[in-house]
Amino acid sequence: MSLDAFIAERQGRWAALEAAIKTAKRGRLRNQSASDIERFGLLLRQASSDLAIARRDHPDAPITEYLNTLCARAHPLLYRGSPWRIGAVGPFFATALPRSFRAAWPYIVASLALMVIGFIAGWVAVDLRPDLRASLVPPSLFDEMARGQIGTGVQDAPFAAAFIIQNNIRVALICFAGGMLLGIPTALVLLTNGWMLGTVAAAVRLGGYDVQFWSLIVPHGVLELSVIVISGGTGLMLGDAILRPGQLRRGEALARVAVRAVLLVLGAASLLVIAGTLEAFVSPSALPDGAKLAIGAAVGVLLYSWLLLAGRSPRRRRSFQFDRPAETPA
Amino acid sequence: MESGQFDTISVRTSDNVTLGYSIAGLGSRLVAQILDNLVAVPLALVAILLYGGVASAFVTSSEGAGFAGAGAGFFAAFVYFGYFFVAEAVTGGKTPGKSAMGLRVIRLDGSAADFGALAVRNVIRIVDVVVVLIGIVVMFFQPQTRRLGDLGAGTIVVRDRAMVTLASAVAPPPVILRTPDAGPAIDGLDRIGGFERDALRVFLSRQGLSPKLRADLAADIARRVLDRLQLPPGAPERFWPPELFIERVYLQLDQRHR
Repeated sequence: MSLDAFIAERQGRWAALEAAIKTAKRGRLRNQSASDIERFGLLLRQASSDLAIARRDHPDAPITEYLNTLCARAHPLLYRGSPWRIGAVGPFFATALPRSFRAAWPYIVASLALMVIGFIAGWVAVDLRPDLRASLVPPSLFDEMARGQIGTGVQDAPFAAAFIIQNNIRVALICFAGGMLLGIPTALVLLTNGWMLGTVAAAVRLGGYDVQFWSLIVPHGVLELSVIVISGGTGLMLGDAILRPGQLRRGEALARVAVRAVLLVLGAASLLVIAGTLEAFVSPSALPDGAKLAIGAAVGVLLYSWLLLAGRSPRRRRSFQFDRPAETPA
Repeated sequence: MESGQFDTISVRTSDNVTLGYSIAGLGSRLVAQILDNLVAVPLALVAILLYGGVASAFVTSSEGAGFAGAGAGFFAAFVYFGYFFVAEAVTGGKTPGKSAMGLRVIRLDGSAADFGALAVRNVIRIVDVVVVLIGIVVMFFQPQTRRLGDLGAGTIVVRDRAMVTLASAVAPPPVILRTPDAGPAIDGLDRIGGFERDALRVFLSRQGLSPKLRADLAADIARRVLDRLQLPPGAPERFWPPELFIERVYLQLDQRHR
C-alpha cells in the first residue's frame, strides 16, 4: 500500500484517538463511559498496529514519528496500576501494613540492632567517663528533675505536639530516603538516636532519677521508637536492594522494593501523630509515674499485637474427616 | 530512530509494538523545576504566615513560641515537598511546571506512574534537594536523566507533547518542479505503482543536492522507470532529459490519481 493510500484509509481513526486523548482529564480516562474506554482501547490497538506497518514500510516518513508519539501519549492513559482510592485506606491499615511489616522483619531487626548498638555505646560512654556527663546531657535537665519541674506539663502543648509530630515524620522520611545513599544516612540516624537515648539514660541513672525519666519517655517512646526503627528498616531495604540486587537489574530490584517500603514508611509515620500527641500531653503531665508506664505498656501491646497478628491468612483447621478415602498401602 | 534529536527509551507494549518515548533533558527538567518553584515557594511562605498567625493568636509562653517557630519551618517544608507529590498524584505525573514544558512522569514500562511510584520519587526528593546538588549531578551523569527519586521509583520523565501534528505528517513535502507541464501522454503508466510514485515524489521534493549528484540520481531513477514502463526501443521518452522525464511521469501519475 502506498503511503498516500495508507494515510487516506486510516487517518480518520488516528484523529479520533487524538481527540480521545484530549478529552482525558488529569492523565486518566476515569471521566469517560465504559464504551468510550473500550473504543479508546480499540483505537490505540489499531494505531499501534498502524505504527508497526509504518515502521516496516515507511520508516523515514513523518507519519511514522507521528504514530509513535500518538501511541506513546495514549499508552499511559490506558495502561496504569490500580488507582488510589480513599476506600483503600482501611484495608491498608487493617492488613497490608502489618503484612509488609512482617515481610520486612530482617531489615527491621537490623534497624533495631543499629539503634541498640547506639544505645549501648552511649551508655558505656557515660559509664566510662562520668565527667563527660555535662557535655552529653544538658545540665538543665537535672536541675529540672531535681526541682521536680518535670512532670508538671508542657506549656502550649498543642504547638509542642505539632512540632514533635512534624519533626519525627521528617526523621522517618529521611530514614527512608537515606536508603538511596546506600542506607548510610539511615544507619547514622539510628545510631545517633540510640546514642542520645543511651547517654541520657545512663546519666539519669547516675543521678538517680530513673523512674521520673522513664515515665517521661515510655508513654510515647514505645510508639515513637518503633516507628523510627520501622522507618530505618525501610531505608535499609533500599540500601540492600542497591547493594545486592540478586537476579534482577539493580534499578528493577530497587523499584520493586521501594514501592513496598514507601507504603510501610508512610503508614508507620502516620502513627507518629499519636506518638507526638502522647509526648506533648501525657508524658510530661502530672499523672503518676505508674500510670504513665502503664499507658506506654498498653500502647506497646496494642501496637505489636496489631503489627504481628493482623492480616494473617486464617490457618486451615485440621479436623477429622469421616469421608476421607482410606489410605491403601501401595 | 524517531524523535531524532532526543534520546529515547523503547517500551514494548502488550500488543508487541515498540514505542519510543523521548526522554526529557536536564534543561527542560530544570526549567520545569524553576516554574514549579514559582508556585511551591510562595505556597510554603503562605504556610509559614498561616502557621505563625495561628501561633501568635494562641501561644502563651516563650517555650511555646519556640515550638511554634520550629513547627512553622517544618510545616513550610512539608507544604513545599507536598506540592510536588500532590500535583503529580492529581494530574497523573504532570506538575504545572512539567505540564508547561510538555513533560510527564511515567514508569519504565510505559504505564502511568501510580500512587506508590509517585510516593517513592517524591519522598526521595528530600535527598535530591537537600543533599546539595546531588539530584542534578545524578541526572547529569545518568544516561536517562533520572534523579535518585526516579531511580528508586522506576520512573522516568518523558516528553508528552506531540512533536508532529497529523496535518503536518499527512501533508506531502512540497514537490519542486522545474517545468510544471505534464507533456505528451506516456504509455504504460499502469505499470507504475504507489511505491514508485512515492520514490519519485521523494526525489522531486529533495533539496540541496549537488547538481552532479542530482543528475546521477535522476539518470538512475529514469532508467529504472523506463525499464518498468517497457517502452519500445525508439520511444521518444527515452530521449528526454532524465529530470524532465521524472517530472512528467510524476505529474501524469498525479493527474490520474485525482
